[in-house]
Amino acid sequence: MLNKIKSSKGIVTAVWVLGLIVIWEICAFIVGATQRTPVNVLPHLYPIIGSFFDPKPITGSGDTIATLVFSSAAETLSRALIGFVIGMLLGYALALFMHLSHIVEKIAFPYLMIIQMIPILGMAPIVLSITGDISSARIVIAAILTFYPVSTNTLAGFKSVGRERHELMKSYGANKFQLYVKMLIPSAMSYFFTGLKISAPMAITASILVDTLQGGNGLGCMLSQSLKGSMTRFVFWDIVIFSAVIGVLSFYLMGVIERAISPSKRKVKKLNNGKD
Amino acid sequence: MKSKAIKNVLTTVGLPVLFGAIIFVLWQTKVLHALFGTDEIILPLPTRIGSIISDNFTVMIPQITSTLIVALGGLVLGSILGYLIGVAGAVFKKWGMGGLTIVSAFNAIPLVALAPVINNWTRNLSGVVDIRSTVAKIITVTIFCTASMSVNAYRGLTEVKPFSEDLFASYGSSKLRMFFKLRLPNSLPYVFTALRVSVPSCVIGAVVSEYFAEQVIGVGRQIRENIVKGQFPTAWAYIAVACAMGILMYVILLIVESIVLKNRRAR
Repeated sequence: MLNKIKSSKGIVTAVWVLGLIVIWEICAFIVGATQRTPVNVLPHLYPIIGSFFDPKPITGSGDTIATLVFSSAAETLSRALIGFVIGMLLGYALALFMHLSHIVEKIAFPYLMIIQMIPILGMAPIVLSITGDISSARIVIAAILTFYPVSTNTLAGFKSVGRERHELMKSYGANKFQLYVKMLIPSAMSYFFTGLKISAPMAITASILVDTLQGGNGLGCMLSQSLKGSMTRFVFWDIVIFSAVIGVLSFYLMGVIERAISPSKRKVKKLNNGKD
Repeated sequence: MKSKAIKNVLTTVGLPVLFGAIIFVLWQTKVLHALFGTDEIILPLPTRIGSIISDNFTVMIPQITSTLIVALGGLVLGSILGYLIGVAGAVFKKWGMGGLTIVSAFNAIPLVALAPVINNWTRNLSGVVDIRSTVAKIITVTIFCTASMSVNAYRGLTEVKPFSEDLFASYGSSKLRMFFKLRLPNSLPYVFTALRVSVPSCVIGAVVSEYFAEQVIGVGRQIRENIVKGQFPTAWAYIAVACAMGILMYVILLIVESIVLKNRRAR
């Protein structure tokens, strides 16, 4: 029963992916027949994937497309990850402080709301000028973008704990530390991960965007160089697909980590499946 | 009781304002500059930014309208498209869910990778740079705004109270009638939940898509151009304008929401 449900869900998604591939290929076929430079508009999928595994070097230093993409991805994504972790820790700490102290909450909460409304990515160029260094700019922007979804969601998680559970803990004579460790932090876990799921793709986007603002090594730099025509256009397509895949994977990775570290989630899932 | 309420309002409004004032003073007295290790050229004083905005406002208006057209156009198209996808998902349950998964996966695609591709697509659309570039930007923002609306619309259309579904069934109402009288109204609060996400993100989408656009216009493009030229105070003025746009649109959304959902709150 359980396997049947799982496989049917997998089939539905697989059909959708297949459908998208078919649509892409049909469009690529039309583009190929009507446009003068189809590779700029929409090339077929197989040469894109083929170019990724092409062993022919495309730069002077003998990098193939694959090694070039991987080395620039390592550069960009490692900074995104550092920013993500910093933003996550700061966001969680702020959520804790806001829940511990009403004064902190009253001061910080309106600003957390406002920061959601302002286009942080638009500030990327100025952050780059302030830090003066592309790596720290990537880290700062990724950290800011991670910071506020984590903070607001975790705070919502702390607040979602019902009154009766607070009363129960009180009747057990739990002190504040135990209250947080045993009850509030575990219950806020799924909210915390909701924040992480929102911010993980954003941190990656931010990092790539900062790359495009300045030369150097990084996915965004390669992207814009390829657009300008200083290397083959397939580098561009490879990076587009690569960053799309990484963005989606980062989202799913958060879900996988969540299931791995929160036993309650696993149990709930099992129960639900049993019901079906 | 009343004095307590007044005190509550005072701390809720007063504390954040006080905090903002402290930051303002630190900025104006250049303590912030020492903290970040920058100078007045890269991080100009707030009064200077303010005077630039007031002096150059007439120059800024075409940039602001261009960004607003892109942001609002994308927001409207993306929301409609997202809602339709949500409806499709709610009608064809089994296949719709898979489609929704794909759409939310689209949300995780970095916008930066999307914008140049769409620029390429619209290249042959029109001979006029302004038109094709605006279309490209609107498409980017549309894609950016679709996912949150489709997921929320789907939830709003399907998460109806079981007894109201039973009631409609017992009245022998048709599926179509049930859709218009029950599911559609039920999804309204969810639409606003989605808009709370997509209104700020449509401004971000518009600003970022301008970085890659052919057409050199818009608030986002001005931020970048002015930084390249080394005119940091002007760039900051445009950043302030972009922030104000985001905040203003959000406030308008909250007002509309409170009017539209007024009757529901009361119940």
